[in-house]
Amino acid sequence: MDFVDFLVRRSDDMLELGLGHAGVVGLSVLLATVLGVSLGVASYQRERAREAVLAVTGAFLTIPSFALFILLLGPLGLGTAPVVVALTMYGLMPVVRNTITGLREVDPAVVESAQGMGLSRRQRLLRIELPLAWPVIITGVRVSTLVLLGIAAIGAIVNGPGYGELIFTGLARVGTPVAVDLVLAGTLGVIVLAVLFDLLFYAVRRLTTSEGIR
Amino acid sequence: MTSPSVDSTSSDRVMIHLDQLSKRFPGQHDNAVDELTMDVREGEIVVLVGPSGCGKTTTMKMINRIIEPTSGRIVLDGEDVTRTDPDQLRRRIGYVIQQVGLFPHLTVGDNIATVPTLLGWSRDRTRERVDELLSMVNMPPESFRDRYPKQLSGGQQQRIGVARALGGDPAVMLMDEPFGAIDPITRDRLQNEFLRLQSEVRKTIVFVTHDIDEAIKMGDRIAILQEGSRIAQYDTPEQILTHPANEFVASFIGRGASLKRLNLSRVADIELSPWPTVGVDASPEEALQALRATHHSAVLVLDESGRPRRWVGAEDVRHAGGRPLDQVGLPPEPVVEPEVTLSDALNELLTARYSVTIVVNRQGAFQGVVDIDQITDAVRTMRRTAVSRARAGLDENP
Repeated sequence: MDFVDFLVRRSDDMLELGLGHAGVVGLSVLLATVLGVSLGVASYQRERAREAVLAVTGAFLTIPSFALFILLLGPLGLGTAPVVVALTMYGLMPVVRNTITGLREVDPAVVESAQGMGLSRRQRLLRIELPLAWPVIITGVRVSTLVLLGIAAIGAIVNGPGYGELIFTGLARVGTPVAVDLVLAGTLGVIVLAVLFDLLFYAVRRLTTSEGIR
Repeated sequence: MTSPSVDSTSSDRVMIHLDQLSKRFPGQHDNAVDELTMDVREGEIVVLVGPSGCGKTTTMKMINRIIEPTSGRIVLDGEDVTRTDPDQLRRRIGYVIQQVGLFPHLTVGDNIATVPTLLGWSRDRTRERVDELLSMVNMPPESFRDRYPKQLSGGQQQRIGVARALGGDPAVMLMDEPFGAIDPITRDRLQNEFLRLQSEVRKTIVFVTHDIDEAIKMGDRIAILQEGSRIAQYDTPEQILTHPANEFVASFIGRGASLKRLNLSRVADIELSPWPTVGVDASPEEALQALRATHHSAVLVLDESGRPRRWVGAEDVRHAGGRPLDQVGLPPEPVVEPEVTLSDALNELLTARYSVTIVVNRQGAFQGVVDIDQITDAVRTMRRTAVSRARAGLDENP
């Protein structure tokens, strides 16, 4: 019951932190999607390029987030900027991987018939291949989002926005009763955001996928 | 319709001219297509047929440059298109492949509208064209325009594939085993439909298959290809069947060339035999009288519109016991329409009770019958024509 009281008392904070958290993740996901789809499109046809892109974006994910935030502190200072850059780097891999998979799964006969009808390379990509790969790509974006929601909390160590602030404050007060409340509240906020983003992706996926391939 | 006389179905204008066309794939020693030179005339169906790996598909795909030739020239309607913009070229050439390759995320209507849209047709003209083409392939526009490919059967998808290829009203069509992945019964129907469609649209068609029977059925001329796309023989189906140019062609045709020749003619091409008939309301006496006037053992009972209802023999009439004529005797089988090949008609009559095939028109009205004598006559005539044509060829080039 104490925890519920705590949430009610801090509801303004919860909302504000939630908006900040969602904002920084949303922006990063957007950047990761644009970059990731571009990298996927540029590399999916050539094995060498494909493997290089997957290796590099995969390597980003292995950098400990704590370390990356601190490393970015030097060039980018405190606040939102280092968080967005780090999150974008972490978000690339799922998007790139699914873009490549989706584009490679398009039936070669469909691409050949498009070519045979005189669609240019660009028209084939924009009108045929990307729309057909879209359900797979958006699944990658969704995975990215979930991963970034968690990592974004760590961004509070460089003064990034979001629920990480509650968690780090709790960490500073370990041993006091309020510490557990603070950490629980931060975690709960992230979970709620994850659920909301998931609903959003479900809707977007339904609305942007052709009935013919649902 | 496959007409044996090529000259009447196509002009002498050369629509596609391939000049010493070659293709060597990277890392391969031999040319997949080796200095192929051939002409396809306007309005004819030329079938490229040969064993797998002979280069027939490569040859076809070089015409719209899905595969770029290593050397040689492609001349389309008098214009050298070997180095022009391939996308522009392809919009002028219909393309149908075995796997169909409809765009699954677009409706049937949008699939067919692909090339008209690329060509910048107006919305109204495109919509009209889509509906026209759907009707042409026997798929009512109202019920199919807005469906998605996954909601269609294989045969329907291939029909849409053909309609889509005709979208921009191209003069030339390339078809790569278009009916290869379809069950035999549907395939037969699609082939017939396509031939009927072709008799209306008169496209210049290059058709690839590995099936000699399909080649004979579909082709105005057939090019039998050996490895490297070398032409073993390029001629009309009946010349190939009656005068195979060499051992390779003969073995490729296989046994039963005479039977295959029956695929070249249709019931409509021969004169039907008469058969005694009576109306459905004729009395038993009238029926017996009709029977006595003929050497056949049964008369055909026709309804008011002239549609066959029953085979009735003398025994049937005597045991009728007052029942009307259309309730005694045997059902009127087999029945065919004039578009079927003699081969199909022969097949039917072999198992028929009275050894004839009933021929009816589109409305189902009785036209006459086909019996075994007419079929042997037809075979004899075909052989004679082929021989005399071959002789004429000899006299021209002594």
